[in-house]
Amino acid sequence: MTTDWLSYLPLAISATGTTLWLSWLALLIGAIGGTLIALLRRSRWRALRVVATIYTELFRSIPILIVMFFCYFGVPLVFGVNFSPFAAATIALALHASSMMSEVVRAGLESVGRGQWEAAQSSGMSAVQVLRHIIGPQAIRVILPPSIGVFITTIKESSLASIIGYIELTRTGLLIRENGDGGLLPLLALAAIYFAINYMISLGGGALERRFHVGGRLTMAGAIQ
Amino acid sequence: MTDAPVLQFTSVTKRFGARTILNEISLSVSPAEIVCFVGPSGTGKSTLLRCVNGLEDIQGGEIRFEQSRVEAHAKSIKAVRKRVGMIFQHFNLYPHLTALQNVMLAPMVVHGEKREIVEARARELFEKVRLSHRIAAYPAQLSGGEQQRVAIARALAANPHLLMFDEPTSALDPETVGDVLAVMRDLALEGRTMLVVTHEIRFAADVGTRMVFMDQGRIVEDAPPRQMLSNPTTERARQFLSSITG
Repeated sequence: MTTDWLSYLPLAISATGTTLWLSWLALLIGAIGGTLIALLRRSRWRALRVVATIYTELFRSIPILIVMFFCYFGVPLVFGVNFSPFAAATIALALHASSMMSEVVRAGLESVGRGQWEAAQSSGMSAVQVLRHIIGPQAIRVILPPSIGVFITTIKESSLASIIGYIELTRTGLLIRENGDGGLLPLLALAAIYFAINYMISLGGGALERRFHVGGRLTMAGAIQ
Repeated sequence: MTDAPVLQFTSVTKRFGARTILNEISLSVSPAEIVCFVGPSGTGKSTLLRCVNGLEDIQGGEIRFEQSRVEAHAKSIKAVRKRVGMIFQHFNLYPHLTALQNVMLAPMVVHGEKREIVEARARELFEKVRLSHRIAAYPAQLSGGEQQRVAIARALAANPHLLMFDEPTSALDPETVGDVLAVMRDLALEGRTMLVVTHEIRFAADVGTRMVFMDQGRIVEDAPPRQMLSNPTTERARQFLSSITG
């Protein structure tokens, strides 16, 4: 029982940073990709709608770990390109996050009545202007709560990257545990760090929700069509 | 009238799948005309308006607005929409913006006008629709009649050459209908060109310069309102008008 746990603190901090970096990248790509997919699902062209639907259904139904294996082991076999564990993990997480986000964004867009599109378009706005000024501000209130859930899930799922050998937070914790005398402490520390990150996201999300809700003075009455 | 028509429909046909909504509609509207469309529901009156600004596409014929061709999915539709104001049955105000912001948005975003100029004009419009005291309210805080008057101000904000009203009073409580009709009457007196789909026969008779009776996607009768009301030439129009005038 002579392990000096405190000496691992710098390592734990940098490993936390690694996990945040990985998750952040995956979420950024996931949020942008998910929004694009959601918009494609409302396209005027059937082919685009079909492609977007297949994408969503595919990547939210396959376990992230399997996608990760495909990226890490499968892509080199088929295409002869090697992905680093970091790249494979980011891509797999982003594919999954974007499929989840596309459903969240789709629900948000659908929550805004067709009459809003029609009124805005009738005034001469372009599709981008309608999204920015009319649909976006109304949809965001529906999109925000479930997307906080997707963010938290993605941060937790990033621990799967440890399985293809990427040394992020979980992997670091397990290595420290093996290096020391086993025991519960590294696991507890891991759990505590994940909890702290996700709880902060949850709190931040709650604050954002309140900001976008503008004091409850809005109802959707005017948007119902 | 020697003025060039504001709006011209030539054999316009609109289908939803196998159903024909508009059947070879031809119609010409001159400046300052106030055309009231009447007829049973589901006969294509609203669809006709929605074809003018490309909310619906057409399957046959041609629509021209101020000489330029209306094509729903073409880039050119924006130029038409900038000059046509539309008022909807359910108002469709933007619920996340105040009444004033609702009116100011399009002139600023679409027409690129300066905020001060737009705001000054918006305030005048609120006076015109008699809602100056409600400028800061959100749509949810307004009654139906007030919302519709904000929607009229919003449509006027871009100085349109044509105003289209799609059953503007059908979703209103009876006691607020009068306020909206009064505002529309003022607009008619200004000499604006207006298309109005309505079941308010008295309004159509008093304010309209022309009454168009539609049935099953066709224009059955097109005459000055008083003439049509007192002496409809078709049996179908006679039946419908007597059923709603009682």
